[in-house]
Amino acid sequence: MQRRRLLVLLVLVAAGLAVALPEAALAHGIVGREDLPIPKWLFGWAATAVLVASFVGLAVLWPKPRLEAALERRLASVPKLLDPICGAIGIALFVLVLYAGFAGTQTTTSNLTPTFVFVIFWVGLAILSPLFGDVFAAFNPWRAIARAVAGVAALVSRDGLPAPLPYPERLGRWPAAIGILAFAWVELVYSGRGDPSNLAVLALAYAAVQFVGMSLYGIGAWNRYGDAFAVYYGLLARISPLRWERGALYVRRPLSGLTTLDPVPGTVALLCVLIGTTSFDGFQNGPVWGELSPRMTDAIAGLGVSQATALELAFTIGLLAAVLVVAGLYRLGVTGMQRESSDGMTATELARRFAHSLVPIALAYVVAHYFSLLAYEGQRIVYLASDPLGEGADIFGSAGAIVDYTWISATAIWYVQVIALVFGHIAGLILAHDRALAMFSDGRIATRSQYWMLAVMIAFTSLGLWLLSAANS
Amino acid sequence: MIQLPIAHAGHWAVNLLYVLPLVVAVGALMTQSWRDKRHEKAEARADKPADAPPAR
Repeated sequence: MQRRRLLVLLVLVAAGLAVALPEAALAHGIVGREDLPIPKWLFGWAATAVLVASFVGLAVLWPKPRLEAALERRLASVPKLLDPICGAIGIALFVLVLYAGFAGTQTTTSNLTPTFVFVIFWVGLAILSPLFGDVFAAFNPWRAIARAVAGVAALVSRDGLPAPLPYPERLGRWPAAIGILAFAWVELVYSGRGDPSNLAVLALAYAAVQFVGMSLYGIGAWNRYGDAFAVYYGLLARISPLRWERGALYVRRPLSGLTTLDPVPGTVALLCVLIGTTSFDGFQNGPVWGELSPRMTDAIAGLGVSQATALELAFTIGLLAAVLVVAGLYRLGVTGMQRESSDGMTATELARRFAHSLVPIALAYVVAHYFSLLAYEGQRIVYLASDPLGEGADIFGSAGAIVDYTWISATAIWYVQVIALVFGHIAGLILAHDRALAMFSDGRIATRSQYWMLAVMIAFTSLGLWLLSAANS
Repeated sequence: MIQLPIAHAGHWAVNLLYVLPLVVAVGALMTQSWRDKRHEKAEARADKPADAPPAR
């Protein structure tokens, strides 16, 4: 009876606040205002209800692991020639991006390089990978160049190439985590990010690091653990029901590819970097950061650095803090799970074993935060394909195309964001539940251990929705 | 005219509404966890065979 009263009281308080509180005004106003039937914060409550219902459904209807031992079957043969053709296309695109960056106009929106790097490559591939598998592996220009060089060197040298060094176990996916953090820093903090020639220099530097890594540890090992983008898109591709291998295409249950993710050091860090940096992207557009950053910048500038450097330092601190908050939330959930499971595993071991459940969440955050960028800014590629240098060329006859900001409404974008967040977190719950069933002998302990993962999922969902609502306000 | 320093209270309260589902869910989960453990202990006690026959 008391519980019912409390529930009624909560509903009344919530309804009262909904009526009394002001609706946030849309500051940017490019694509109009969402027309939503309920206040945005109520979506957070609805998402929580959906997650709790999914959790109960899993506990009742999913009594045995189904993804852990899932099999795949060969769907079709793929011509072996496809691999070098895709590699050649990847190299050609990479050269085009470099050439446009150095030789083209230095106006951000008129040059192919910024749009290609930040929209098509960074966001487009992240959305393609969970749908069609690891497409980046086929087009990876650094891998294609290394393979071609290794092939020629093996033909030329009489004694064959020296064997690569064994990849250090302790290094794990740390190079990839650092690489993604560095890219996010360039995208969100670096003041010269809109300058095409800067991006071309950075792309060259990144390629050089990849060549050193591949020559030291071998092409396969470095692409599995070291190449930040190969690792990132490879992780997202594990969500896909499709797996490409040289000469064959395999089909499997969606998400099941994540269960075979080897929990090497740096995996959790990489996923926390992905979720944390995307969170900061949303946070920096909100009013809290809008109030905080000028104060931080002034305080840092007071130490004797220039205002521009102080601004970059303030944003760097914010970016790192966002990653630490996400890592802290996950660690909190894992520590709680360790207490419930009493299975003798350390929190670090458990964190690694359940890291795969963060992959759909990372994807959900990417879709939620960057969908509008892809939907609007992605259209620039139509005119940039005809005029990549921004010097008045019209190669395909599409140089006159303009960005249509009306093809999708702000309301539709909000629904896509909410659906992505909810489905991403449900997928995370499914993966964690399946892994718990495989790890813990007692089904009750497995379910109880997941109370904490449910709390983590609700925390990430609420955080994601709050960031989106703040960014749109 | 005296103004109350709660000009932005409405915006902060909106932010708190995003945290509230998490607080409610964590509270409910902790209660459920405590109940589960208590129930399991009671079950274990009931299943445990008596070590010695009762004294007459």
